[in-house]
Parts: sequence; structure tokens; C-alpha cells
Amino acid sequence: MPDLPLISTPTAAEAALVTRLRARDQSAMTEFYDRYSAALYGVIHRIVKADDESEDVLQEALVKIWHSMESYDTTKGRLFTWVVNISRNLAIDRIRSRQHRVGAKTQGIDDSLAAQRQAAPVTFRPEHLGLQEITKQLVPEQRQVIDLLYFGGFTQSEAAEELNLPLGTVKTRARTALKVLAKLIR
Amino acid sequence: MEDFQNYIESGRLEQYALGELNAAGQAEVEAWAQRSPAVRQELDELLAGVGVFAEAHALTPPAGLRERVLGRVLAEIATPVAAENPITAAPTMRVSASNPQNQPVAAPMAPTASRSGWAIAASVALVLSLAGNALLYSRWQQANTDLVAAQNSQAQFAATSQVNERRYQTETEQLSEQLHVLRSPNEFKLVALAGTPAHPAARARVLFSQATHRVYVDVQQLPALPAGKQYQLWALNNGKPVDAGVLAANTAAGASLQHMKDIASAQAFAMTVEPTGGSAGPTLTTMTVIGNI
Repeated sequence: MPDLPLISTPTAAEAALVTRLRARDQSAMTEFYDRYSAALYGVIHRIVKADDESEDVLQEALVKIWHSMESYDTTKGRLFTWVVNISRNLAIDRIRSRQHRVGAKTQGIDDSLAAQRQAAPVTFRPEHLGLQEITKQLVPEQRQVIDLLYFGGFTQSEAAEELNLPLGTVKTRARTALKVLAKLIR
Repeated sequence: MEDFQNYIESGRLEQYALGELNAAGQAEVEAWAQRSPAVRQELDELLAGVGVFAEAHALTPPAGLRERVLGRVLAEIATPVAAENPITAAPTMRVSASNPQNQPVAAPMAPTASRSGWAIAASVALVLSLAGNALLYSRWQQANTDLVAAQNSQAQFAATSQVNERRYQTETEQLSEQLHVLRSPNEFKLVALAGTPAHPAARARVLFSQATHRVYVDVQQLPALPAGKQYQLWALNNGKPVDAGVLAANTAAGASLQHMKDIASAQAFAMTVEPTGGSAGPTLTTMTVIGNI
């Protein structure tokens, strides 16, 4: 398959992969891995940080995707949207349960956020939509809001509190940022 | 249409796209998207934006991870299939057990009828036992899968209630903050904003703290907005308008107080209609309400 941005993969190619996964074709899982793992691993790693835990979560996500294929509804959205959501949710569950274990709820969140802001990507795949492009398109205030909401697992209200901004501003920034990003693949 | 437009601007779609909503919230958004092509289109655009954002963070996993993860995943997803195999494999085992294995042993004993009888009985017993084992194994595997499924749904439930708990906490905090604002007449000055001649029925209030510069707005009645527009609050300081932020759709509908931008000093407040996201300066012809402190 051509190495297009996953989010704009032609629906036909995506549908073929979905059909094979649903038919319990294990070779489709290998293909799925080769196409999607970098994107999924990137999101997971951004949230949980540690390499070994990222590996665990990625594995957990792949198994879950395989077993939940039946419940994937093509009319609700793209395959990529669905699988990246599963991965993100598992990663966020992971850091929340980690915070639970340590017993320092809020501190855990703050720590991981601070780390996130400093964390620089080790490598990114230039053939994919790159981080540089994102940085170029979004003003830092918009990027910060999306980072908190998406990678930090914050609600809009929590982000407003964290950034000391009115809730309306957080909403506007999130919305504007997502629209700017969507234009990149149009 | 107005209804859909309000929904689009409520922030729910962003919450959906960024994974903030629980199952009920997701179902609500999906129902709206099904009813309105405009909502669907907006939602798809936001989802695409999130997709671009996620994909921009793609990270090639470290060397060796592919083999490890893919190996374990394939092994794990192969399990339920392997569990079914022993059952289907049982008949073939019978063939191989009686043919190449048993025959050389049974052949020299063939002269004695009773011995061959025992051999047949033994192989039948073996076959039954194999089939029984296969059945037990597959049931055990099934129970195992069920247990994992149950544990998964329990974990999911725990995670959801944890998220809900946090949400209720935030909402409760917001409510108590709003009550504090309403019940502190000394700290927060109440500024009544009356409708301009073009909108005589419009009414709103601003709660302004000169000490902390905090500004809250409370809408009693505002005309419905056309698509792509938002109300924006302005503080007038020595006749100069200062942006105090835009009103969220639910604030404009009077659903709750909204904490606006801090204002250092003002003698009056006014509201105008501006394009979504607000303007740098007020469009005076659209002024809807105004009031002096």
C-alpha cells in the first residue's frame, strides 16, 4: 500500500483491510501493524512516556482492536480515528492507574504534563504529516490546549483551570486548532 | 437549523473528537450527527483535525519491538482458534492412533483374539479420553476468554466512573464558584445591561469585581444569533472598548454564568454580535445591550 497519511487513506483500501480483519485473517494483522504502529506508538508514547510501558500498551491495543473489530462501525468514522482512540484511551487508563497506585493523583498528572511539554520526539516519520508542519500551523496557545486535552486527558473545564483561562477561550482554541489541522489534508 | 448551529458551537463536538465524552455523551453527539448533515460535516472535520494531530506525533518504534509485539499479538489472537482445533483434530487423531501407531503393536498380537479385543477397547478408551480432554480444554479456554472479557468491562466501568467523578467534581466547583459570585454583593458589583432601541427586550447582567478584576456575565434574554456569530462582551474604559471575551452558546442561552476575561477598569459594559471567535474591535451597529456601572 502507498504510504499516504493514514487519516486520508482512500476508503477502499481501508475497507479491504477492515474486511480481512473481520474475517479473522491474521496476515491482515501484520499489514495493520506495518501501516499503523508508528502512529499508534507515537500517541501512546507521548502519553505514557516509558518505552517498556508503551510497548505493553501497544500490544494491549492491538489485541483489543482485533477482538473489537465487530463493534467498529464504518459509518461513524475512519478506521484510523477509531484505532487511535482505542490506543489513546488505553494509554490514559494506564497513567491513571499508575497515579492510583502511587496514590498521588494530581501530582502524577502535573508531572507527566511537565514532562510532556519538554519531551521532544526521538524520531518522526517525515513521510507522515510532521510535527514541524503542526508547529508551523498552530499558534503555541492553540497547541498547548490541544496537547492538554488530547495527550493529558484533560476535560475542557480542567484545561481551563490548568491554564487559568475562561472555558470559552479553551473551547474556541480547541475548535480553531482542529479546523486548521483538518485543512492540512484537504 | 438554528438548533444545529447552536449545537455545533456548544463545544460538544470538540469534546467528542478529543475523546472527552462518556458512552452516553458519544451517543448523543452521534444522534445529532445522524439528524443533521451540517453537524456530521463539522464533526468529520474536527475528527480529521484530531487525526492529523495524532499522526503528526508518529514515532517509529525502537528496533526489535515489531517482532516482539507482533509475535505476542499473533500468539494471543491465535488462542481461541487453537482451542477449537483439538475438537476437529480428534477424529484425525483416531486415525493416526489406530493406524500407524497401534497396528505395528497390534499386529504381532493378532493371533490372540482376546488381546486384540483389549487393544481395541484401549484405543477406544484413549480416543474417548482425548476427545474429552479436547472438550474440557476448549471449555477452559472459553471460560478464560469470558473472564478476560469480564475483567475488561469491569476495568472499563471503573475508568468511566473515575472520569465521571472528576467531571462532577469540576461541575460542583464551578457551581459553588458561581454561587460565591452571586452572593458577594460587596465584592462583585452588579451591572444591569439593558437592550438598545433595536433590541428592547434584551437583558443581561455583568458581575464585576473592581478588586480582583474578575468579570462574570449572566444572560437573562438575548435575541437568537444567525449562523457563524457569537456575542462578545466589551468593557468601556474612558470611552475605549476593551475585549472581555465571547459568550459560549450556553451562556448566551442563559444556562449558566460565564467567567470572562479580567478587566482592570471600566465604567460601562456592552455586548455586540461578532463573527465566531470574536473581533478585535466592536461592530457598533450590532450593539444589543449596554449598561453603566
